[in-house]
Amino acid sequence: MSVVNALVEIFQKSGFMSLSWQNWVMILVSFGLLYLAIVKKFEPLLLLPIAFGMLLVNIYPDIMADPLMMSSYEGTVDPNAHWYDAGVLRLIYAGVKSSIFPCLIFLAVGAMTDFGPLLANPVSLLLGAAAQLGIYVAFLIAIATKFLTFIPNFEPFDALEAAAIAIIGGADGPTAIWLTSKLAPQLLGPIAVAAYSYMALIPLIQPPIMKLLTTKKEREIKMDQLRTVSKAEKIIFPIVVTVLCVLILPSVAPLLGMLMLGNLFRESGVTDRLSDTAQNALCNIVTILLGVTVGATAEGKTFLDFKTIAIIIIGLLAFAFSTAGGVLFAKLLNVITKGKINPLIGSAGVSAVPMAARVSQVEGRKYNPSNFLLMHAMGPNVAGVIGSAVAAGFLLMTFGN
Amino acid sequence: MLNTLLTLAERKYISFGEALNISITGIVVVMLVLAFLAVLVLLLSKSIRAVEGAAKKKSSAKAVSANAEEKTSAPSKPAGTALPESASAGDLNLYNVDEKTAAVIMAIVSNESGIPLNRLLFKSIKAIENKG
Repeated sequence: MSVVNALVEIFQKSGFMSLSWQNWVMILVSFGLLYLAIVKKFEPLLLLPIAFGMLLVNIYPDIMADPLMMSSYEGTVDPNAHWYDAGVLRLIYAGVKSSIFPCLIFLAVGAMTDFGPLLANPVSLLLGAAAQLGIYVAFLIAIATKFLTFIPNFEPFDALEAAAIAIIGGADGPTAIWLTSKLAPQLLGPIAVAAYSYMALIPLIQPPIMKLLTTKKEREIKMDQLRTVSKAEKIIFPIVVTVLCVLILPSVAPLLGMLMLGNLFRESGVTDRLSDTAQNALCNIVTILLGVTVGATAEGKTFLDFKTIAIIIIGLLAFAFSTAGGVLFAKLLNVITKGKINPLIGSAGVSAVPMAARVSQVEGRKYNPSNFLLMHAMGPNVAGVIGSAVAAGFLLMTFGN
Repeated sequence: MLNTLLTLAERKYISFGEALNISITGIVVVMLVLAFLAVLVLLLSKSIRAVEGAAKKKSSAKAVSANAEEKTSAPSKPAGTALPESASAGDLNLYNVDEKTAAVIMAIVSNESGIPLNRLLFKSIKAIENKG
């Protein structure tokens, strides 16, 4: 064999020859996301692993190979294959598919969350509920896709798919993955990518909506300092929430239970080592595995179709309506309390913790530099986590088997 | 109501009206659960604070009586009740600063540090003149 023949063969077997145009498009998309993560610093801890997973799978699709069809929805089963013949990211993806990663992330979020602002101002819980509006608007929009049958090759979303897409409006990645893997696992890739990407882009999505729905005077409102919350209150809260919410909606037990367990690690004061592990080492490990494998579900050939584009659009609308729901409800509370609530904290009711609360703080200071809304916004923000878990529990109870 | 929804969900495609019904029920359920939680948190906080307040009073009363027994001729500080969070205590010296500005500075320090005013002690506030 001549050197030239060898080189030709290598070239023919290389990715340059085997990749489709969809893979090249997704490679460009991953470059864009890497740019946003590294240069613009948009939630790099999430966006960077997602973007890199996307890049890897589109350069080398077999990294997500699934010869046993463990979690793929297209292809054929290879009867001679073993589980270890699957692509390395496909094996790790089992943690997403089985809901282990989302639940572990909730444990970490619980350990990192201070429910003090929410306990000091329980009205925050209502803001966390109002900011779930986007979930139900997105559900209606997804169902309404049946009016789009004039688009060639477009199959409208069924009820289960619509419910899974709707949860993007909760702005909560782990909840979105958890519900989607139960109701419409075939859509896990686009829904997870949409949810996490929009969570990372919250500093871009929310401010225009917040500005549109509030007056300058409202944005300048300075809120009273929150009361100090006692240790006993903080310890009893996770236990009460677990008992109450799981009894009302049993299906929320895995997510809410882990969230509150993590919080109890933090607040009990007797499990500092566990709390530290959940907040740091465990959270970081699961974030890497979850991010890379979620990104790796965006393989061009299966990812780039009308349904994905529709999910991306509906997801954005869901985020927008959730933000609007929170802000409008905060405006209502501001009227009821005679000007004591800055409506900007309403947008933090979407559960992306702590990005959404940070946006409220930044926007508040733009209009009144002496304004510190962060702690006030943390209340609705952590309430949003509970709200989206309850909303997901309702959808699972309604549509689950 | 929920039974109707469950029957609806067994079908692959549902009508827009049915979807609207599910959406309204969904948002109402989330609102009710979180509103119920808010009321519960409020009641819990109040009862915990009441219990803690009573325990504090008891222990401070014990401490006062123990102090009274130990007292000789030296005068002691008045025990007094706890200050509200918005109040501060002690003597404050103001140098070229009016009371209103001083109040604003104290409030900002309290807000920035997250420490209630009743746990902060300001000794003096001095205006620094710009010599440039």
